[in-house]
Amino acid sequence: MTRTIHLSLDINGKRHELDVEPRVTLLDALRESLALTGTKKGCDQGQCGACTCHVDGKRVLSCLTLAAQVEGRQITTIEGIAAENGDLHPVQAAFIENDAFQCGYCTPGQIMSAVACIREGHAGSEEEIREYMSGNLCRCGAYNSIVAAVREAASAVTTGIEAKDKVEVA
Amino acid sequence: MTIMETRKHGDAADGMVGGRFSRLDGKLKTTGGATYALEQPVKNLVHAVLVQSTIAAGRVVAVDAAKAKAAPGVLSVFTPEDDLGLLVASDWFGNRPDNQPFHPLPREVSFNGQAIAAVVAETLEQATEAAKLVKVSYEETQSVTGLDDPDAGEGRLVDMLSVGWGDAEAAYAAADIKIEAEYRTPREYHVPIEPHGLTVKWEGDFLTVWEPSQWTHGMARTYAEWFDIPYENVRIVSPFIGGGFGSKAMGYTYSAVAAAAARKLGRPVKLAVTRPQTFTAYGGRAATRQTIRIGATKDGVLQAIVHRGASETSVFADFPEQTGAATPLLYAVPNLSTQHRLVPVNTVTPGALRAPGKNPSAFGLESAIEELSYAIGMDPLELRLRNYADHDYQSGKPWSTRQLREALTVGAEVFGWSRRSHEPRSMRDGRQLVGWGIGCGTFPVLKAASEALIRILGDGSVEVVSGAIDMGQGTYTILAQTAAEVLGVPAEQVDVKLGDSSLPGATVAGGSMLAGAITGAVHKAATAARDELIGLALNDSNSPFRDTGANTLVIADGRISVPRGEGPSLTLAELMSAIGRDRIETQRNTLPEGANGPEDHKRSWTTMANVQGPTAGDLSMHSWCAHFVEVKVDEDFGTVRVSRVVSAFDCGRIYNPKLAESQWRGGIIMGIGQALLEEGLIDERFGRVINNNMGDYLVPTNADIPHIQVISVGIPDNDASVLGGKGVGEVGIVGVAPAIANAVFHATGKRVRDLPITLEKLI
Repeated sequence: MTRTIHLSLDINGKRHELDVEPRVTLLDALRESLALTGTKKGCDQGQCGACTCHVDGKRVLSCLTLAAQVEGRQITTIEGIAAENGDLHPVQAAFIENDAFQCGYCTPGQIMSAVACIREGHAGSEEEIREYMSGNLCRCGAYNSIVAAVREAASAVTTGIEAKDKVEVA
Repeated sequence: MTIMETRKHGDAADGMVGGRFSRLDGKLKTTGGATYALEQPVKNLVHAVLVQSTIAAGRVVAVDAAKAKAAPGVLSVFTPEDDLGLLVASDWFGNRPDNQPFHPLPREVSFNGQAIAAVVAETLEQATEAAKLVKVSYEETQSVTGLDDPDAGEGRLVDMLSVGWGDAEAAYAAADIKIEAEYRTPREYHVPIEPHGLTVKWEGDFLTVWEPSQWTHGMARTYAEWFDIPYENVRIVSPFIGGGFGSKAMGYTYSAVAAAAARKLGRPVKLAVTRPQTFTAYGGRAATRQTIRIGATKDGVLQAIVHRGASETSVFADFPEQTGAATPLLYAVPNLSTQHRLVPVNTVTPGALRAPGKNPSAFGLESAIEELSYAIGMDPLELRLRNYADHDYQSGKPWSTRQLREALTVGAEVFGWSRRSHEPRSMRDGRQLVGWGIGCGTFPVLKAASEALIRILGDGSVEVVSGAIDMGQGTYTILAQTAAEVLGVPAEQVDVKLGDSSLPGATVAGGSMLAGAITGAVHKAATAARDELIGLALNDSNSPFRDTGANTLVIADGRISVPRGEGPSLTLAELMSAIGRDRIETQRNTLPEGANGPEDHKRSWTTMANVQGPTAGDLSMHSWCAHFVEVKVDEDFGTVRVSRVVSAFDCGRIYNPKLAESQWRGGIIMGIGQALLEEGLIDERFGRVINNNMGDYLVPTNADIPHIQVISVGIPDNDASVLGGKGVGEVGIVGVAPAIANAVFHATGKRVRDLPITLEKLI
């Protein structure tokens, strides 16, 4: 018999319990065990970026991360970035407005990378966005629109933060 | 009986069809809510993993599956020993041999990476592990691994691809200026980000297949024939496709293996082709070579083109990558001869990859034209305009619409072409050499019939229903726009259901023909629904319009009213309520009358036998484009960066510029990959694809791509389609690689005639 282990994973602010083999990746745990299929498998080798998630706020490739490694850490997937009332995250809205995808398969990974890219402070110029978004391949070739969407969302997010700061100061 | 609102066409900035609508499926795709084939929640699922051959040619002598079968969780191992009881299915055109058995796991090995076994286990991890334990013994035979293999030979002439007029050899011999060169393209791969695979489930003799599909009806036919069950028993479900580019329009051997395994085991099976396996589970673009000779006068008037090309194919099936496909179309030339040969090698049968034929063909011709421009000493833009074809020399027919001159002149103006100095190595940006080049592209208008269903519901909302698919081209969105325009409702009031072979029939999303075909069907069905609604509004005893004396009504902005604004005005929901209807349904297709029976439907929706080529009628119909590219080359390192692209397109009327621009850019970016990065590397000893992954088979990343300016110069072409559009999806890649090769020559003085243009070719 194959050995299984019990894991408690905190995903999108919710606790999930599962029994899986120790060799199961975070990507396969999400997709095969937890019905969180928004995170995509493009290569399973850490080359395409489609499986990008956040662990403790930082982007990781879930295909190169074992599920057992992320117990006790905060995991965020594409299903967890919109507001609770359903309002889209500014990056999601900017992707739609700028047509930053076609087939949509790399899109969750692109968006998770974009959210982190802005948070990391790497969305200052088009050149910088291109560089820091290059771990996410898009075969439909939506790169121009992805750059435009990240720029737009970066300014929306920054403006949002400034507004919030001002309120707090006031 | 209906009054159609006049809409602005062509530039169409403010219309419904022609408007810059965001994708209807945008929210699903950005929230993780779009469910692809391997993500369907199917209970009691088991997992299949393929085992591929490690030799290029020979025979499987034995498969030792004992260890694999004993591994934890393993349910079964399928090998060439198993007769899966399948029959060979039809080809794309509906031709089928009678009762010929189909062995998707064959004993004969024809290429390295051919599926020869499959392991099924309870979990993906168990199946993956057990697949490694399968031991295969082979009897190897001599293989031919590629076009350059000494044993490959010159190949077999494909007569039906020979094109000619005048006396090309004599005119070439007599010409003042002659150029001759050989151009080569390597194996290239689709690399959609969603790898192939399927989830399959049997219920008695009924089969449901969740598989990414560019053609649900065609693939349903294939499964029905493999398993010898009625077509109606098969349902292909494919609401979202993670990129296809030509690779997802048919069932492959692994599809048959998964479905057969599910039947034998009595459980649903999921088979995910791994990324490395995708490189041989189906074919990419075949490697090609072509020799082009052009003869011209001293002042640049073309006299003759002689073209001799070849592409590789597999040893068991023919797929010609037609190197002469664009050669006869782009220029006025009084004498021309093209021929194409097929060279069988030990590879998976090549397949259709974005603009098959046209793409490598244009690489040859558009490189050669610029070589000629340097031989003559003439600006390559001027040379192209001087030899502009005023009609189709191949068919002798007039063009339906051809705005290629406009594409060249507008593109040149926006790019700033007049500031170019013609001499190679004459433009610099600091340490970098700067080069500018042009490449033209063409893609034929293919026409096919399709069918659609329109529902007007009691709440005034509208549904469009078709088995057509959306792999990112925007079918959902443009069909909502089409129905909204005809029915006079906001696009947000329209829902679109696609991607299911049980829905009304549609042609393949291939050959850039689906948009033209399916908008025609939706337009027809929506017009019929509108007529029916207005008829009911005028005649139903409970309708407030009955006594208005009006003989027609208008629908606009979601309201139905009497022309000139006198009398009642109701929302569609109010009218539906008044006349006591909860739905109006109309189903229409675009088949001709007299050829609209059940057999015609099956033939049209499930084969390509009825597809009409670009010169089927009195006209010659094609999309056109002109790419202007700037490259910067670091001479010390030989690195090439594309720094600027301006491309002008004639694709007729554009249904949604926002989405069409995305497709054009996507084609251009794939062309940049083809020019600078993409090359399948084959181990000549074993015929194996060495770089069978996304870290070694390089596709463009975000950092490789500059801003790309795309411009529409098209005008509505009502011969090409009902709404006036021509194909958008494929023409964008055609001409990009030669534009880059031409720019590299202009920058460096080095002419690279074999793609990709990698740094060792420049230093």
